[in-house]
Amino acid sequence: MSRRELDLEGALADLATVLEFPPTPDLAAAVTARLEAATARRAAPTARGRRLGWPAGWRRLAVAGMAAVLLAAAVLVASPGTREAVARRLGLRGVDIRIGGPPPPTVTTTPGGRLDLGLGNRVTLEEARRRVGFPVLVPGVPPLDRPDAVFVDQAVPAGGRVDLVYRARPGLPASPFTDAGLLITEFRGRPTPEFLKKVTGMGVVEQVTVAGEPGYWFSGEPHFFTYQDAAGNLRDEQTRLAGNTLVWQRGDLTLRLEGELSKEEAIRVAASMR
Amino acid sequence: MGETQSVEGRPLDEQELVEQARGGDARAYEALVRRYQDLAFRTAYVIAGGSADAEDAAQEGFVKAWYALPRFRAGSPFRPWLLTIVANEARNRRRSGRRQDDLALRVAEDRPSGDAAPSPEAAALATEQRRLLLEALGRLGEHDRQVIACRYFLELSEAETAAALGCRPGTVKSRLSRALDRLRAALAQQGGGTPPLTRLQGGEP
Repeated sequence: MSRRELDLEGALADLATVLEFPPTPDLAAAVTARLEAATARRAAPTARGRRLGWPAGWRRLAVAGMAAVLLAAAVLVASPGTREAVARRLGLRGVDIRIGGPPPPTVTTTPGGRLDLGLGNRVTLEEARRRVGFPVLVPGVPPLDRPDAVFVDQAVPAGGRVDLVYRARPGLPASPFTDAGLLITEFRGRPTPEFLKKVTGMGVVEQVTVAGEPGYWFSGEPHFFTYQDAAGNLRDEQTRLAGNTLVWQRGDLTLRLEGELSKEEAIRVAASMR
Repeated sequence: MGETQSVEGRPLDEQELVEQARGGDARAYEALVRRYQDLAFRTAYVIAGGSADAEDAAQEGFVKAWYALPRFRAGSPFRPWLLTIVANEARNRRRSGRRQDDLALRVAEDRPSGDAAPSPEAAALATEQRRLLLEALGRLGEHDRQVIACRYFLELSEAETAAALGCRPGTVKSRLSRALDRLRAALAQQGGGTPPLTRLQGGEP
């Protein structure tokens, strides 16, 4: 290393001693309060998936607690203006969220309140199909052929997106944040070639084939990916934290399924979509 | 970094805390949060570019990490794992087109850099040089600034830097090297060709 490099590094180290970051907020208190609020109503995370004696095929459909929240994160990336509002609706500030039943007349911030997921407009499946410019697919595997809620966002990403949400039920346990059970997202776009490079070295990603088309199976660790939407914009998106995720393509659509399905189960559901 | 909290009347090391937290012990997790909240918040700040977004990202990251703990590989390092989660949150909050505050960090008021009582002239010179360096940093691209901040200001390891930036650990060294090259160029441009770096190092002789 040259003298000049050492000088520059020394100068940066010197600068580090006089830089001030903004004061760190009391995250420990805030985080603990949120976790307490959640665990007061839910089982501990390690107990998730074990509370009910589910049928074997669905046992592992212990849905990612974060699925809906992560989806919102994707919305947030694209529309910062709505970020705060969405964050509050999603329980990022300790708000409880449930789906199912009629939409609440007002937003409530007390535990136990019922909110929609803030993924866009809640519509019927038929309405979603009318609103977006692509064929909306649903799994051919009962009971997933009938989503409990359908959300459409026509603005973000370009070309629109549709989210199919499945309510928690025996076999689909409630997440800590929502009563969502399983989440399937569809939009026009494709993973970029750089996508795999951006997956952190700590994640587990595997290339798979879904009905003859390319897909990626994530498990084990947090990760995110980058895709190109229908307008050519590159978007970063986090996929999941608490469950496994399958991302695959069908023609010019990108689809994503989040939950704690095994790879085989996820591919089976994915391949059944029509 | 923040104080760690003893859960059973004695200090617990990171691995013990992580193990207890994995077992559902919320107090152990709180201790972990306290231990790493500075790190998480500052990393988020470097990436998201504003303190409100950094707070959101760090808080959300800790909450998600809690729920992801059952999947944390026992015995592996906690810091990079946590930073991956927090940094993803921070990236999701980064506002496109916004000029980041990130490295517009305030220069602390006349805090000497380790040596006792420099002369007023020397102190003024050191301050000016630091200001120039900070300014040059501010002219770098986002990725260059982030990798420099991770390594020098947050003092993250290469693996942790990779986790924070979402890149492969093997690329950190080359990214940093290129960033330093560009920083050097920015300084040279600024200083009319001869950056006062030899004097800048280490404050006072």
